[in-house]
Amino acid sequence: MSKLKFILRDINRTRSQAIVFALCVSLAMVTLVAVNGFSDSVNTTLLNDARALNAADIIVRSRQPLSPGLVQKIAEMESARSIESAPIYEFYSVARTAAGDGSLLSNIKAVSKGYPFYGRCELASGRYLTEVLLPGRIVVAPILLERLGLRVGDSLSIGRATLAIADVVLKEPDRPLDAFAFGPRIFVSTADLERIDLIGKGSRVSYAVLIKVADAADLTRSVDLLTAAADPVQERVDTYRTAPSGVKRFFDNFIFFLNLIGIFTLLLAGIGIYTTLTAYLKEKEKTIAVMKTVGASSRFILTHFILSLLFISLIGTGVGLVLGLAAQKIIPALISGLIPQQIGLSLSWTGILEGFCLGIVGVALFAFLPLYRLRGIKPADIFRKDDNQPPGGLPYYLTLVVIGTVFTAMVLWQLQVLSSGLLFVASAFGFILMTAVFTHAILLILRRLPVKTLILRQALKGLFRPRNATRPVIIILTASLAVVFTIYGVETNLDRDYVQSYPPDAPNLFFVDIQPDQQADFDRALGINTRYFPIVRARILSINGDNIDRGKERQRRRGDNLARTFNLTYRNDLLDDEIIKTGSSLFRSDWNEIQVSVLDTVIKMHDLKIGDRIVFRIQGIPLEARISSIRTRTKDSLKPFFYFVFQEDTLKDAPQTIFTAVRVEKSRIAGIQNAIVEKFPNISVIDMTETITTFAGISRKLSNTIRFFTAFGILVGLLITVSSVLATRLARTREAVYYQVLGARSAFVFKVFGLENLIIGGLSGLLAMVISQAASWIIITKVFDITFKPITGAGFIMIAVATLLVTISGLLPSWTTLRKRPVAFLREQTNE
Amino acid sequence: MNKAILHVVICSCLILAACGQEEPPSAPPEIQSTGTIVAMGDSLTEGLGVSEEETYPALLQKALRDKGYGYRVVNAGISGETSSGARSRMDWVLRMKPDIIILETGVNDGLRGLDPELIRRNIREMVDAFTAEGIDVVLAGMKIVPNLGPAYSEMFADVYTDVGGDNDVILIPFFLEGVAGVPKMNQPDGIHPTADGYARVVEHIFPYVTAAIARHQEQSR
Repeated sequence: MSKLKFILRDINRTRSQAIVFALCVSLAMVTLVAVNGFSDSVNTTLLNDARALNAADIIVRSRQPLSPGLVQKIAEMESARSIESAPIYEFYSVARTAAGDGSLLSNIKAVSKGYPFYGRCELASGRYLTEVLLPGRIVVAPILLERLGLRVGDSLSIGRATLAIADVVLKEPDRPLDAFAFGPRIFVSTADLERIDLIGKGSRVSYAVLIKVADAADLTRSVDLLTAAADPVQERVDTYRTAPSGVKRFFDNFIFFLNLIGIFTLLLAGIGIYTTLTAYLKEKEKTIAVMKTVGASSRFILTHFILSLLFISLIGTGVGLVLGLAAQKIIPALISGLIPQQIGLSLSWTGILEGFCLGIVGVALFAFLPLYRLRGIKPADIFRKDDNQPPGGLPYYLTLVVIGTVFTAMVLWQLQVLSSGLLFVASAFGFILMTAVFTHAILLILRRLPVKTLILRQALKGLFRPRNATRPVIIILTASLAVVFTIYGVETNLDRDYVQSYPPDAPNLFFVDIQPDQQADFDRALGINTRYFPIVRARILSINGDNIDRGKERQRRRGDNLARTFNLTYRNDLLDDEIIKTGSSLFRSDWNEIQVSVLDTVIKMHDLKIGDRIVFRIQGIPLEARISSIRTRTKDSLKPFFYFVFQEDTLKDAPQTIFTAVRVEKSRIAGIQNAIVEKFPNISVIDMTETITTFAGISRKLSNTIRFFTAFGILVGLLITVSSVLATRLARTREAVYYQVLGARSAFVFKVFGLENLIIGGLSGLLAMVISQAASWIIITKVFDITFKPITGAGFIMIAVATLLVTISGLLPSWTTLRKRPVAFLREQTNE
Repeated sequence: MNKAILHVVICSCLILAACGQEEPPSAPPEIQSTGTIVAMGDSLTEGLGVSEEETYPALLQKALRDKGYGYRVVNAGISGETSSGARSRMDWVLRMKPDIIILETGVNDGLRGLDPELIRRNIREMVDAFTAEGIDVVLAGMKIVPNLGPAYSEMFADVYTDVGGDNDVILIPFFLEGVAGVPKMNQPDGIHPTADGYARVVEHIFPYVTAAIARHQEQSR
């Protein structure tokens, strides 16, 4: 009990440092708990959702009727009651009205009882699909009724059968968001397939079997059994976890970003904990020396301080946990409706626990070094004024290695991907090293700067005063500000990519295969002002005389390759969203040969520069062109773009089709579609409204959530920055007193200190901005694989705010001192 | 990413097909070309999913040379092309000054359920324009996948028998005879032949091509 009193009294004496330390711990906790808990519950929800998105646990797909071996295996497993199965057949067919006056290519899906095992097929009547889809009946998409002028209750001929339209389907769970179809959906019952008689030799049908496992724990075993029985060439066995889904990939990036914020916060908190703790223990050195003088053993002292730290950490952790849990409660409201087929977010205790443990490990790690230094304090230190021991020795470096290793492990654990994790860690260490080098260089220059003004001279001198630790302060500030700026940079880039890709004027109706002689008539029929893009199909034969290795090209996993057929176009001007990246103009007037302007995306596939020669083959005829310029797109929006642009004269006679895209109100689409198809039957009209709307909606919600977390991360970062400054600058108060003793006025001291802090803040801000641009560039281009735009105007504001913040928080500790009389402070100091 | 997916979707809408292998075919030097055959068509001609040497135009050229016909066969296939697209690039094909054109088109119209009347008009126009230039036309007859429905399939098949019924045209009744619907002759997508499938195609169409050559030589004499 007396021990506890001693600890409490001890903490109370240096309570401002203790509070700052506790603050760092709790802020780290809040973010980690909130981010971890949230990403964990989103992940769980998504997996549940993925099941609904596939309507099953396991999906078997093939382009041929399933092989006998697999059919038998499914039957066996079903009779053993370990699974339930439901076959699905999908194909196109021309459906005809019973009167014979209309026909429409339709996307037929034959399903049986049980479909869907998960999720729900939404019908206009609100009934369940299984109730409605009886033999002899069909359920159709609303656009089919519109296009054929039919109503529910009418009949439709499919194949050799005439079936009654029983309902309208509004949404099916397993239709991917990125699904594209040439015709509207018609659901038929598998019981009618024989009557319809469209599946036979030569038919083009997608065969699938949806499978639900009786026991979720059996999933992997069932998948293995089915995979072993399946034909490896024709048949694919997917689970809801592995099935490709656009939404899943979408969310993966999102979760990745949240984890990134979690790690950044951990790093920030580590810095905060380290600096505050060092400062805290520095203040205790005299106490420790006294304790040692009166006979306390090193062990006693260490136990004492570990207990003190534990006590403060526990308070910090407690506060952090409560706030973190509160944040968990707020988040679901933030993202309500974000996830399709919402299942609802539950509080994820594992995520919270994970965050908690991560936080504890972080505190322990960063606290070790300052604690370890306590050993070196000798009783004689009571009399010393300059008691700075230079860091060094095996334990010091060992600790750094351990911190490095543990940090790497944590990053890998959070990011789950080895390559990006290692890249992340390497970059982080690289940047810290770079900061140290830069700081050193700049300080060297500043030291030699001849300065006339007294205040400025004093301020600069202040930077190099012994015990001032200017360099570590700048490094720490730069690191933490760089983290804050990077979070901001990544967020703006992600936001641009997510949300601005779907501007309100993004085209939703695409017209493909317009023939050149139809363009004028088509334009009149469409009646919308739009740009037409001629498309010339071609392949690349060689670049600078080297033939394209098609086998190698096609093995590329990511992105595009040069082996495919490209859509060339011709025009003599740049599009609104294009700029020239290299070269003076789109085409050169001083060249007489055939020229081509290349989009910078192509450079990712093959290193190309101005003047290089590409040989294309346009349907049998080779064409050599010289690269005149390299273009880039200013926005990654859904607008049409072309890799290769030629001059009009070069390609205007080449075989071509014309393409255009427009934005129209949803209500007008059916009308336009009907009018165009009737007049120009060869033109395909592709309606992307639903896909775009859904994606745009999700991106906007996602962007809001990301913004929330970013704001949170930045706030934490700034608070930790301020606390670091507070902690390190506290020691400077003594100097204020000396200035006053020497006759300086408060205003003078204030100006010198202000200027000194301004230099530190400005320097850190600038360095941090440079580093953060590089860091966000790496994250955006290497990890998210999207185009990067640096922070520009906002960058200056951020540097200014950061500098101001550092200056103010640096001045705060001196404020109280300056208001007191010097003698009071000196008396306090001597009492120590 | 989201956007990337959409781009892919849109691209696949636009392209309707992706890749195929090709290298410029190199002719054995000892054979003198005695004419040009242009194989005009869609992905079945371009050879989607097989390498250049395995496409039917390449195999046909080889088969012709083996039998002593020194003809060059140019692959002018475009994946995803409809008969309307083919019609609008007639002039381009004529630039190659072909002696014979093997015209294989219409399946992409059929897969989109387009009106067979449109296919008929387009093919008729092309055949007329080519024959007017003194080119011999081999028309590849097509059938549409039966799942589009019996009425449609019938109308579709009629297009080729109608246009091919003219004396000016040599009609291959069904281009994919012995290949369509045979799983091992087709790629997993079920409609594009494998290398074996194309070998079978060439075997099947060879007599029609040599008939066209004979006719062409007779006419030019």
